[in-house]
Amino acid sequence: MAEVVETTRTDPREGRIGSSISRKEDDRLLRGEGRFADDVDPGHCLHMAVGRCPFPHARILSIDVSEAVALDGVEDALVGADVVRRSDPISVLRPVADAPDLDFYAMATDVAVFEGHPVVSVAASSRHVAEDAIGLIEIDYEPLPHVFDVESAMDPRSPVLHPDVLKSNLLVRRLTGAGDPEARLAEADAVVEDRFSVNRVSALPMETRAIVAEWQPGARELTVRHSTQVPHLVRKQLAESLRLEDGAVRVIASDVGGGFGLKLGIYPEDVLASLHAMRTRRPVKWIEDRIEFFRASTQGRESVHKVRIGARADGQITGMFDAYAVDCGGYNSAMGSPQLTSHMFTGPYRVNDAGTEHSVILTNKSPVGAYRGYGQPESCFVRELLIDRLARRLDRDRVELRAQNMVRPEDMPWQSTSGATYDSGDYEACLRMAAQAIGYDDHVKQSRGPRADGRYVGVGLASFVERTGYGSSKFLAKRGSRFGAHESVTLRANRSGGVDVYNGVSTFGVGSETSFAQIVAEVIGIDFDAVRVHLGDTGASPLNTGGFASRTLIASAGALRRAGEELRDKILRIGAFMLDAGPEDAMISGGVVCLRQDPNACVSLAEVHDRAIINQGMPPGEEPGLEASAQFEPEGAAYGYGTAAALVSVDPETGDFDVERFVVVHDCGTPVNPVLIDGQVLGGLAQGYGQ
Amino acid sequence: MTTSTPMPERVEVTVTVNGRKHRRQVEPRMHLADFLRHELGLTGTHIGCEQGVCGNCTVLVNGQAVKSCLIFAPQADGQRVTTVESLGEEEELHPLQQAFKDAHALQCGYCTPGFLMAAVAIAGEGRNPSREELREELSGVICRCTGYENIVTAVRRYLDEREEVEALGG
Repeated sequence: MAEVVETTRTDPREGRIGSSISRKEDDRLLRGEGRFADDVDPGHCLHMAVGRCPFPHARILSIDVSEAVALDGVEDALVGADVVRRSDPISVLRPVADAPDLDFYAMATDVAVFEGHPVVSVAASSRHVAEDAIGLIEIDYEPLPHVFDVESAMDPRSPVLHPDVLKSNLLVRRLTGAGDPEARLAEADAVVEDRFSVNRVSALPMETRAIVAEWQPGARELTVRHSTQVPHLVRKQLAESLRLEDGAVRVIASDVGGGFGLKLGIYPEDVLASLHAMRTRRPVKWIEDRIEFFRASTQGRESVHKVRIGARADGQITGMFDAYAVDCGGYNSAMGSPQLTSHMFTGPYRVNDAGTEHSVILTNKSPVGAYRGYGQPESCFVRELLIDRLARRLDRDRVELRAQNMVRPEDMPWQSTSGATYDSGDYEACLRMAAQAIGYDDHVKQSRGPRADGRYVGVGLASFVERTGYGSSKFLAKRGSRFGAHESVTLRANRSGGVDVYNGVSTFGVGSETSFAQIVAEVIGIDFDAVRVHLGDTGASPLNTGGFASRTLIASAGALRRAGEELRDKILRIGAFMLDAGPEDAMISGGVVCLRQDPNACVSLAEVHDRAIINQGMPPGEEPGLEASAQFEPEGAAYGYGTAAALVSVDPETGDFDVERFVVVHDCGTPVNPVLIDGQVLGGLAQGYGQ
Repeated sequence: MTTSTPMPERVEVTVTVNGRKHRRQVEPRMHLADFLRHELGLTGTHIGCEQGVCGNCTVLVNGQAVKSCLIFAPQADGQRVTTVESLGEEEELHPLQQAFKDAHALQCGYCTPGFLMAAVAIAGEGRNPSREELREELSGVICRCTGYENIVTAVRRYLDEREEVEALGG
């Protein structure tokens, strides 16, 4: 009988689901001992620099790299023709349905379509030398007329960016919705409408993009360290573009310095660094500098919305329509332009006749990609502004008008006009809690004049429903998506009595190492500290989808539970066998398997695990090993919701404004770690202020 | 070599980092952040912009907070540099690091060393600014994950605890 190993925890719920235990990630990050892509310097490493088009639209007449390649320390140079010969275009993981493919090669060949578009690259002994070499390259450009916004891009006189594929700069236009919004708007007692321009923003993670590519010529395998949210999708895309088998590519993302949607899939520089590594047979590192980041990383949000909302005199919203055009930039990026505006435009409101016209338009700017919400904050912004105006038009209270139109708990599951199925929630309750917390009633009773300090004060409200996670692969298949909706994990018991967790998402700030361990501790019954979470290595994790759309925990929790239950049951069978009991009489508690009736009768998990690992002294018929893998695909998306309220004061003389208070009331389902959720809300709010 | 190289001559620099003296031959255009990271292997100092805006590379030079991307390694010749690697013991975090952990003041952790060193500089001057003043003082370091609230809370707690310990003659 083993020595009793008791848990050191005084609170048995600590480290389980619902516990705000501090993060596993923190110690190494606080010590500056994280492992970000640039923290690794392989031997004999070369460094890449990229020459970029300085015009928004230009024909490349000639490139002369002779002086650059003659520079001491320069090992390799690539121009567009080399890249087209040696690689395939970057695939779009989430194309807009019906949109034609634009061949987005890693380098411009004849025509560059945005400022920052790569036109040449060099691998050299240091980044300094590589940049010196770029400075020695002679490029003759013929600047071409350019288009810089969605409206001018659709002018028939404007230059067409991709005339070989498209007749105009319209990549695709799609209508979605249900009912007859035009008829409802025509017969409405009140219609509010406006045109809104949503500005372009940058996700701006503090760690820029980064890759260290190592080619092993003997094995013909490429290993890349990458700053990404989606290691397995990077592997797939790199293999595709580099014409390698998937099995020849391994992607490792250890610590990632923020993503926010920007690090979903590959970019041209990933293909270029890999090509240099394969050609020179030496490791090649490229760390994006901040200027390159602003020129060539994807940006977010930019769109123009023409929105109409119609209602009856009693306040009932009868029709909604948003004709919006997304500025795609010069190409579709790896994730493609935001699409969820169409899906979530009606927000929390019960309306049966609503629709969108979604246009994706090409301009001579860097491509847009995913960024927090992927089109949803845009739709929320335009809708909620118009709801306020509708209240004013109908002389109704803003809270009451919203409450009147909200989907009610008894309506659920509610299918919106876009096909979104809102599963559960009490939208009105959140709205009223937010209104109360911000002091809405007191505010509306006050006079409309200035406050004692001379400033004018207003309260703003916005109610939202946010699609999170991805629903089934069926949903994605209808939209031509090239990734799945499931997550996968492997749990492996080790001889120290602990459990190793392997998953293909990376560690980019949301605390997955911690929340995964909490779920495993909950399901198996072992101590939080006995769970070690290994993330982000495609060579060590089952094939998965990745960390985006708030999906990591939604999808992974199901897989962790399934695998955890399988592992738990086997641990109990072996442990109970060692205690001469049946598995139903045994339980896992801290570091031991013990009998429910007699907790002093126990065996350590280290001993149980070891038996399975060496397959000695196992119950009859039991398979060797103690490992479980599981997949989980959510049946539908999860619809988070809530209301935000802001108290804002303005100086009427200067226009200086101040958000004096901000309240968010939200329902996020079962909290695994409440403090981490609050951290996400605070951080998201700060980014929202920046919009 | 067939082309005249713009690569300059190397120069010798001697810098005391975290109490240990290092002598290296470097290109004069190498900035201190690159020197720390790639010459000395002290990769805890992170680079976010290389133009003195993000402050993620903040270190102490002779006790003062400095953005290490804004000075060249030769300018640090003969100086005392302190980086995040100096904080904490083998088994125990520094109280400031512990305060960050307790307040959930970090998410991706990339900017964290910059905030820690900026706060160490304030503590080193024996000051305890108000929450509002602290916001201003830490505004030289940019974080995109946390929204700053928890960072300010962590630094405030650390400075308060430090003051209490000192008041007790600790």
